[in-house]
Parts: sequence; C-alpha cells; structure tokens
Amino acid sequence: MVKHNVFIIGTGITSFGENYENGASQLASQALTSAIENSKITKESIQSTFIGSLVSGSNSQPSIGANCLRESNIITPHVRIEAGNASGAAAFHQAYLGILSGVYDCLAVVGVEKLSDFVNVGLVERILSSTIDYKWEFEMGATLTSLYAILTKAHMREFQTTMEQLAAVPAKNHKNGVNNPNAQFRKEITIERFLNAKRIADPIGKFDPATHCDGSASVILASEEFILQNKDINSKVPILGSSYASDSLALHHRNSLTELNASKTAAATAYKMADIKPEKINVAEVHDSYPIGEILAIEDLGFFKKGEGGKAVEEGLTEQNSQVSINTSGGLKARGDPFGATGIAQIIEIVKQMQGEAGKRQVSSINYGLAQNVMGTGALTHVNILGEEEVKK
Amino acid sequence: MEPPKIWREKRGKYLAMGVECSDCMTKQFPFTENCTKCGSKNVKKYKLATTGKVLYFSTVTQTTDEMMVCTPYLIAIIELADGIKVTGQIVDCNLSEAKEGMNVRMVFRVLARNGSEGLIRYGYKFAPI
Repeated sequence: MVKHNVFIIGTGITSFGENYENGASQLASQALTSAIENSKITKESIQSTFIGSLVSGSNSQPSIGANCLRESNIITPHVRIEAGNASGAAAFHQAYLGILSGVYDCLAVVGVEKLSDFVNVGLVERILSSTIDYKWEFEMGATLTSLYAILTKAHMREFQTTMEQLAAVPAKNHKNGVNNPNAQFRKEITIERFLNAKRIADPIGKFDPATHCDGSASVILASEEFILQNKDINSKVPILGSSYASDSLALHHRNSLTELNASKTAAATAYKMADIKPEKINVAEVHDSYPIGEILAIEDLGFFKKGEGGKAVEEGLTEQNSQVSINTSGGLKARGDPFGATGIAQIIEIVKQMQGEAGKRQVSSINYGLAQNVMGTGALTHVNILGEEEVKK
Repeated sequence: MEPPKIWREKRGKYLAMGVECSDCMTKQFPFTENCTKCGSKNVKKYKLATTGKVLYFSTVTQTTDEMMVCTPYLIAIIELADGIKVTGQIVDCNLSEAKEGMNVRMVFRVLARNGSEGLIRYGYKFAPI
C-alpha cells in the first residue's frame, strides 16, 4: 500500500490556442507564476521544477527551463522531461515520486508547447514522427493520423463501431468545451459536420483530430508536512495513484489493435495504489487526440466493457453528470493539444472538479477523478488518480 | 537524410532481412542483437517472406513535406506469409481497389527523395498479386 503523502496545492494555466505574442518560455512562466500565486506559497519554497515538453517551440532550444525560471524570477534546479504527447504527465509523475521519496517537500511541474510557429506543410507530422516507430512506420510512409486510422478500422471491424459513434466523441467534447474559458474552441459542432468532412486518412476526417496549438499548464505539489507548516495553503487535492506503462512503438509489433495495453496496465497499477475499482471514478480526462482514442480509453480504463465504448458515447453515458463524465474540459479536441501542456491541463481539470470549482463544468457528485495521457499510438500511457479536496475553505 | 543512416539500415530496408532465433526459432523483424521473445543472443539472419496479405490500410493525404508528392497513397499493415507483420505502402493499385485481405508481394521502390538533387531513400513497398 502506497502512503498517500503527495498533494496538489495550486494550479495555473494559460488559455490554449494560437498565441503569436508569446514564446514557449513566456507561456511556461505565465502558468508557473499563476500556479505559485494560486498555491499561496512563496517562490523560495519550490525546491525544483520539472518541465514536460516534446519540442517546446521552434527556437531549437527545447530545454526552456532556464529561461522560464529566469523570467519568473525563480531560482531552482530544473529538468526537462520528454515523453512525446505524454510529456506533461511524465513530468508530473517524476515530481510525484520526488515528494513520495522524501527528498523534496515542494515541487513545481510545468507542461508547455508552442506549436503555432510550425506553419510549413508537414512540420508537425515530422515532430509527431518521434512518437511512432520512426524507422519502420514513419519512414515507410505512415503518419500518426494514419496509424490512428488503422486503430479505428480495427475497432470498427471487431466491434461494429460506427462512424456515428465515433463522431459522437468530438461532438460531445465540443459541447463540453463551450464552458471552458481556457479552451481553444468554444463552439458546438454537429455530428453531421464531422461525418461530412473530407477524409484525411480514412476513416479519420478533417475535423476529427485535436488541433496542435500553444499553451502551458502548471501545478505545485507538496507533502503533508510542508502543508502543515504553511498555514496559508487553503486547498490540497491528494494524488492517490500515479502510474505509467509502455508498449511497442510500432502497431505491427502488437498482438491486439483493439486495445491499448499500456493504458490497461497503467490503470491497473493506479487503481491498486488508490485501492479503488474503476466504477468509483465519476470524472475523467482521457486522451482524445482522435475519436478512437477516447473510445479505447473508456474501455481500457475499465469504465465500459471492451467493444461497448462507441455505444456508450452514442447513448450519452459519458456526458457531464452521466455514468462517468468524460472530458468535461472539452478534452484535447476542444481545449486544443499543446503536447507537453496537455497532461497537466488534464490534471488541472480534475483538480478543479475535486475542489468543486469547475463552474458550469462541475459534476454533481465528486468521488475520485482520473487523468490519462497517451504518447503516440499508445507506446506509453500515464494514469493519475486524484481524490476529493481535503481542506475545506 | 543522412548517408550513414541509410547505409546502416540497408540490410532491413533494401534486403528485408530480419533475424531468426536459433533457440526458440522465432522469426522477427527488424534486425535485433537479441531475440525479442526469449532474449537469446543466438540469432541468425533471416530473409522475410516476399508475399503476404493486407491486414488494415488507410489512405494518407496529409504527411511530411518529402512525402507530400506521393499523396494520396495507401499505407498498410501487412502480414507476411511467415507470420511477421510490417508497415508499408501499397503501390501499383488504385485507391478504390485496395481491400483488407488482399494478397500482395514485396517490391523495391523509392521511399522519398531529398529534393531534386539530394539523396534518394529506397525500401520495400507492396503491390497486389
């Protein structure tokens, strides 16, 4: 049994979208300083900063920690952690371990990406090629989107998942995104619009993938002892489970294409750490970079039986205040997907839900919340489980 | 496109050479120093089967700059006759004629060109039988 001694005491997030005014380090600095302010601690309390990003920005300086911290007037050691699209959650997990180990008492985690600079054709596809098997998938002509198309086809063939069920995923997430002030897209899109769009890698249509944008998100983690010594801290959300698992990079090396084994394994460990069953989760942020991503997630995380994910979304069982509220923030689809920032933004949404501060997106009964962050086609998955806020204001 | 890298990968990409474990007899691709199933170092070169069938495919229309000239093209996961699965393009085939389960053979083609005067990267693709 893991001791539950790590808490989230503050959050900060920039708005997601095309932000031409700010570079990656500025975005990261904005999120970090706002998280410190939110946590009611002094800058000097932070012992180290963990930064999660895939490429950061276009300035050939992926290690933006030094600039970010200088611009925030903070002096701490810093490290950048890269785990593809799951870089944010990977940085979060390392910070969690740092506090759990007893070495640190208070750490900052920042997820950041600046992708709107990449305007030339194919540049983002090239960046994303690092998250799939570069030599034996990408160089042979595959792209991340085309591999998700194959995952979609496998699910459609095995479980008769329909195009309507797939389109219900982004339609639901856009509906949720309307209520998220930080989301890139705050507009509903009809299922018909998804169905009628041009195919970019059949069966994936032009509007199906999450957009690659700019943004940063930050959380402050602290130990129980640190919180007791700092009376100003007025909120602490416990991290009850934090785990990750891997699978082969290439789809062609996997036995099954109708599940992400890494998600199942990471979730099993996280549930065990939290000592709960999947049914106890009533709000979750999952990696819906493509519609099939969310369907696979809600099955692999144990919310619905294998093969019934598409049906569950179509029947509204994943809408806000239904059986399990999935992607109340709008998900990657409506919030936008700045790779490294996404994993932290997902955790922030769950923190807000656990604090009862999610505004119109708030789910009525709070129990446990989960965030799932996936790299590539599932070569790595991070799962984090949070509990209800423990200090009442 | 780096010449040493192309040279290093010629055995896999030009000759479709994998390995066969002499202990557990598992055939695997690409080349590895250790058997990916039993971990044995006792592996020998193995030439992949040259025919197979299409398991899944998709039509790619958005890709990197060097591949845009080829779009739209078909990308597929192929199960070769020896059971090994690989990812590759389907060529010599109209987009509307590609089917899951279709029989294909391995062919040697240009994968990408580095501009009009740069290096050419070659490798295997698949054509209908």
